[in-house]
Amino acid sequence: MRILVVEDDRTTADYIADGLRREGHAVDALAQGRDALVRATTEDYDVLVVDRMLPGLDGLSLVKALRAARVATPVLFLTSLGGVDDRIEGLNAGGDDYLVKPFAFGELSARVAALARRPRMQEAVTELVAGDLRMDLLARRVTRAGQEIDLLPREFALLEQLLRRKGRVLTRTMLLESVWDIRFDPQTNVVETHVSRLRAKIDKPFETELIKTVRGAGYRIEG
Amino acid sequence: MARLGLPALRRSTPVRLAAFLVALFACVSLLSFGVTYLVIRNRLETGMRADLEQTMAGFSAAPSASALAALIANQGAVTDPSQRILTYLAPNGQVFGNVALSRGPEGFLYIDLGPNPTGARRDYLGLAGNFFGGQLIVAANRAPVTALAATFLDVLLASLLPTIVIAIGGGLYLARRSRARVDRIVATLDRLSSGDLTARVVPMPGAHDLAAIGEGVNRLAVRQEAATEALRQVSADIAHDLKTPIQRLAVQLDRLAAAEGMPETGAALAAEAREEAARIVGTFQSLLQIAQIEGGSPKARFVPVDLAEVARTFAEIYEPAADDAGQSLTLHLPGGPVTVQGDRSLLGQALANLIENALRHTPPGSRIAVTLHGGAQPVLEVADTGPGIPADERQNVLRRLYRLERSRTTPGSGLGLALVAAIADLHGAALTLDDAAPGLVVRLAFGRPDGAP
Repeated sequence: MRILVVEDDRTTADYIADGLRREGHAVDALAQGRDALVRATTEDYDVLVVDRMLPGLDGLSLVKALRAARVATPVLFLTSLGGVDDRIEGLNAGGDDYLVKPFAFGELSARVAALARRPRMQEAVTELVAGDLRMDLLARRVTRAGQEIDLLPREFALLEQLLRRKGRVLTRTMLLESVWDIRFDPQTNVVETHVSRLRAKIDKPFETELIKTVRGAGYRIEG
Repeated sequence: MARLGLPALRRSTPVRLAAFLVALFACVSLLSFGVTYLVIRNRLETGMRADLEQTMAGFSAAPSASALAALIANQGAVTDPSQRILTYLAPNGQVFGNVALSRGPEGFLYIDLGPNPTGARRDYLGLAGNFFGGQLIVAANRAPVTALAATFLDVLLASLLPTIVIAIGGGLYLARRSRARVDRIVATLDRLSSGDLTARVVPMPGAHDLAAIGEGVNRLAVRQEAATEALRQVSADIAHDLKTPIQRLAVQLDRLAAAEGMPETGAALAAEAREEAARIVGTFQSLLQIAQIEGGSPKARFVPVDLAEVARTFAEIYEPAADDAGQSLTLHLPGGPVTVQGDRSLLGQALANLIENALRHTPPGSRIAVTLHGGAQPVLEVADTGPGIPADERQNVLRRLYRLERSRTTPGSGLGLALVAAIADLHGAALTLDDAAPGLVVRLAFGRPDGAP
C-alpha cells in the first residue's frame, strides 16, 4: 500500500513511517500541510495519516481542502486532544478514523489496514466463514464443525466484527467502538473478558484456536 | 411580540407602575373634586340662607298677624311653590301661603315634599320664624345644590374615565413592548447558559435602559466566548506540547524494548515504563476532559438519551469482568425507556466510572447493583456491598486527585469521581454518596427543572 504520513514531529513521523515500511508499505512522510495538499492531490495514495496540529495549514483544513478537491483517500487523524468535540470536528471535516496520542504502533497499523481495505460498499453477505466456523447472519446462528453454538447477542456481535475483518487485527479500542459504541478507554480489561467468554464457546471445545491474540495490538480471527 | 397572560401582566413592572399611577391619579382627582364640590355647595347654601333671612326680614316688617297673613297670601298666590315656599301658620291654626306646612321649631330646616307629578324632586331649604304668635316659614328649592352634585359627577366621569383608560392602555402597550424586549434578553441568557456562546441580544433602538442591559449581556457573552476559546486553545496547546514528548518517549521505549541484545529484564522495564507513560496520559486526559466539560460547550450537543439503554449496555460490558473477579453485577430497570437530555458518551462514561470504582474497591464476593428509577426525575444508582466510604470522607472523594488512604495501592488516577461529578453537573443532575449499609451507593439524580447546576 502507498501511505502518506503528514506529521511535523520528526520522532513520531519516523516511528510511524519505519513501522509501516517494515510491514511492507510504501511510505512518504511530510511535515507541512501545504506540501501534503499538493502531494495528495497529485499522487495516488491508499491511506493518509494526518496530524491535526500542523504548522501552516493545519490537518483539519488540509483534509477539508482535499475533500473539496474530490480526493476521497481514507484519512486517519492523529490528535493530541481526543475530546468528543474534537473527534466530531475531525469526522465532519472528512476524516474517516481518529487516533489519540500517544498510541501504540499496533493500534495505528490495525486502523490503517482497516481503512485501506474498507469495502466501498457493504456487500450483502448472509454468511461469514472462518475454517469450520460458519455464521448465518439471517438466522443469527453459529456452528462450528457442524455443531450449533449458543451465543449471547453481544458475543454474536463481537464474533461478527472479527469475522468481517478476517485475517486482520482488531484492536481493543476498535472492538469497543464497533461492538459497544464506546469511545473512551475503560480502566478494566472489559474486551479481554468478553473475548475469553467467546473463546470458551467457540475455541475451547475444538482442536484449533480461531481467535488469535496479537501481542501489543489486539485480536485476529484466522481462517 | 410576546403573548402576555394575566399572571405575566401582573408581574410586569410597567403594568404595575401604570396601575399604581392610575390609582394615585384617581385618588388625587377624587379628593380635589370632593373638596371643590363641598366648598361650592357650602357657598351656595350660605347664599341661600342669606337670601332666606333677607326674605324673612322683609316679611317681619308687617305690623300685625293679620297683615302678615294677608301679605303671605298675596305673595304666595304669585309664587311658584316648586321654586319657593311662603307659608304663615296663624295663631288660630289657619294656614296661609302656597304650601301647607306644619309648625316646627324655629330656625333653618330641610323640607322634602317628595317628587312632584312630573318626577322632579321637591327638596327645600327653609327658615322658620315665630311672629305674632304664629309661625312664618320661607323656603327655597335646593335644586341648584342637587344639580351641582350631578354636574360635578358628570365632570368627574368625563375627565377621570378617559385618563384611566389611556393610562391603562398605555401601561399595557409599554408592558408588552418592554416584555418582548425582556423576553429577548432572557432568551439570549438562556442560550448562553446552555452553552451556546454565540448567542447575542439583537440591538433595541429606543429602549435605553433595556438596550443598555442587552449591550451588557452582549459584552459579557463576547468575553465569555473569548475566554472559552482561550481555554480551548490553551488546552489544545498544552495537550500538543505534552503529548508530543510522551509520544516520543513511548516510541523510544518501544525501540528500547525491541533493541537487539536487550536482556529480558531490560525489555520488561521498558514495557513497565511505557505503561507508566500511559498512566500519565490517562491522568492528563481526564483532567483535560473535566476542564472541557466544565467549560460547558458539550451542552450544545445534547440529545435525548435513554438511560435504560445506557445502563443495559454498561452492565453487560462489565458483567464478565465482575464475574472473573468473583463479584456479581446485577441490573434493575423500570419497564420502558427513561429519557433525559444529555450526551450519551459522557453519561456512559460516568456510569462506567461508577461501576469500575465499585469493581476496584470491593473484595471478591461483593454484590454490585446498577439500578435505574424512572419517572419525571430519574435516578441512576450504583450500589455495592464493599467497605463503603466513611461519612466524613464522602465529600472529599469528589475532589480531583483525592484518594482514600486505603486506596493508594489500587490502580486509578483519583479523577474518576471528579469526572462523574463534572458530567453530573453538566446534566443538571445531583451526585450523592450514601451508606448502603453495608457498602456504598452512588446516586445520579436527574431532572432538576431548570437543568442548571
